[in-house]
Amino acid sequence: MINLAPQVAGEPAAAPVTRETKIDIRNLDFFYGKNQALHAVNLPVPVNAVTAIIGPSGCGKSTLLRTINRIYNLYPEQRAEGEIVIDGENVLGKIDLADLRRRVGMVFQKPTPFASSIRANVAFALAYYEKLSKREMDERVEDALRQAALWDEVKDKLDQSALSLSGGQQQRLCIARTIAVRPEVVLFDEPTSALDPISTARIEELLDELRGRFTIVIVTHNMQQAARVSEKTAFFHLGELVEYDDTLRIFTNPKHQKTQDYITGRYG
Amino acid sequence: MNWVLFRRKLADRVAFIGAALATLFGLVFLFWILWTTFAQGVSALNLRLVTEMTPPPGADGGLLNAFYGSAVMVLLAIAIGTPVGLCAGTYLAEHGRHTRLAAAVRFVNDILLSAPSIVLGLFVYELVVVPMKHFSGLAGGLALALILIPVVVRTSDEALRLVPDRMREAAYALGLPGWKVSLQVLFSAAMSGIVTGVLLGVARIAGETAPLLFTALNNQFWSANLNAPLANLPVVIFQYAMSPYDTWHALAWAGALALTVFVLALNLAVRLFARRRSFK
Repeated sequence: MINLAPQVAGEPAAAPVTRETKIDIRNLDFFYGKNQALHAVNLPVPVNAVTAIIGPSGCGKSTLLRTINRIYNLYPEQRAEGEIVIDGENVLGKIDLADLRRRVGMVFQKPTPFASSIRANVAFALAYYEKLSKREMDERVEDALRQAALWDEVKDKLDQSALSLSGGQQQRLCIARTIAVRPEVVLFDEPTSALDPISTARIEELLDELRGRFTIVIVTHNMQQAARVSEKTAFFHLGELVEYDDTLRIFTNPKHQKTQDYITGRYG
Repeated sequence: MNWVLFRRKLADRVAFIGAALATLFGLVFLFWILWTTFAQGVSALNLRLVTEMTPPPGADGGLLNAFYGSAVMVLLAIAIGTPVGLCAGTYLAEHGRHTRLAAAVRFVNDILLSAPSIVLGLFVYELVVVPMKHFSGLAGGLALALILIPVVVRTSDEALRLVPDRMREAAYALGLPGWKVSLQVLFSAAMSGIVTGVLLGVARIAGETAPLLFTALNNQFWSANLNAPLANLPVVIFQYAMSPYDTWHALAWAGALALTVFVLALNLAVRLFARRRSFK
């Protein structure tokens, strides 16, 4: 391991990861009816890197993710205040939600294949956005499945039902389906919590390959996973952002006692 | 001590026998009806049933015009009722899900669902038959559609609401508009429920007599004209069964058997379909 000693706690050292900000979350409050789930969150998410969000259950980490693509808008009693600026545009304002969600894809906790063939699952959104010939479409489907490390397992049964795949394969299919439309940001909401260790390892490898091509934000309950896959880590507690720093620093030399307690397993 | 135990066992036995007898009581009548229909109907079955028209008293004949008329009106009802019902059900389950209007529509629909069919028949009579000044197959199909619509609304609403929210979120998260999500993701997930609803609705309207008395009336002769009175099975059964002629009685039994078998087959189809395509 590299030497971390020179970094003094409380002093933001020259960060090894300094990138342009892709998503700038400013003063974000979130409400489920009258319950406030997020309190004045400020978080700059770097472009084309993996940012992990960790914290105990109910700390608001999934909520934060669900504001970025505004999927919470499906439920009228949920609302967000503040700003989430993506490429200079506040996406909490009046915007085209479908366009936002095409640019900001999301992979959920449980695999959610649609009740159709493997090919149709991947081609579905693609066919809506782009006029492609059958050959182009086949190429894009293959490309997406290759990127999601699923191609070799399904190339001979593209027309079989997606529901016949295993849980881990279904989750990779959902990833393929998400990246097929070439989003800029991909949000992962505990993508491996419903999977076995082997499938989890495959998804983590995959995250590693997607790094650099997409801006990735991953919510995870698993601290080792955050440490393995991310460059930046944000620690949340009771709806507040406690600490946000390079992953290495969060896990080796956190500034806050709460972060320290959480990563050493004292609670959570 | 022993007495308490005995009393419990006695109570259990009495309750069990009571329940069994009640079940038997219901089943006896069901099988009695089925058996009578079957026995009387089978003896009246012959090829003329589907090749000849309803006869005048005393003559031989079949039920071809009645089968045809019923089929046409039921198909008409499906053609009108399914899209209307499905659209309304989709509104209730998806777009209007959290609105007060949807709650009100759902309530009114439930009332419509249990409305006596004769009332719907009268409604169409006033709305269509009176202005047109004659009975017609069109009016009959419309009356049946009005009975079908609330069934389809209710079942498609429920089938769609059974689709887990995560499917909805996954589809919206791909950046697809609401109509696309409903049409391709939710309908295919809820398909078995929706088809089941339509088939059960068809089973219900196939035997409806009252609304047709006011709308399609009946027709002794062959007629494919939707703008004229149209023969149909339930009304033929009704009239022939009430008549004093033996040949008409036999035809009524045969028609009743055909109707029963059709509804039974529909219900079996529903079961098979629901089992084959149950959503995971």
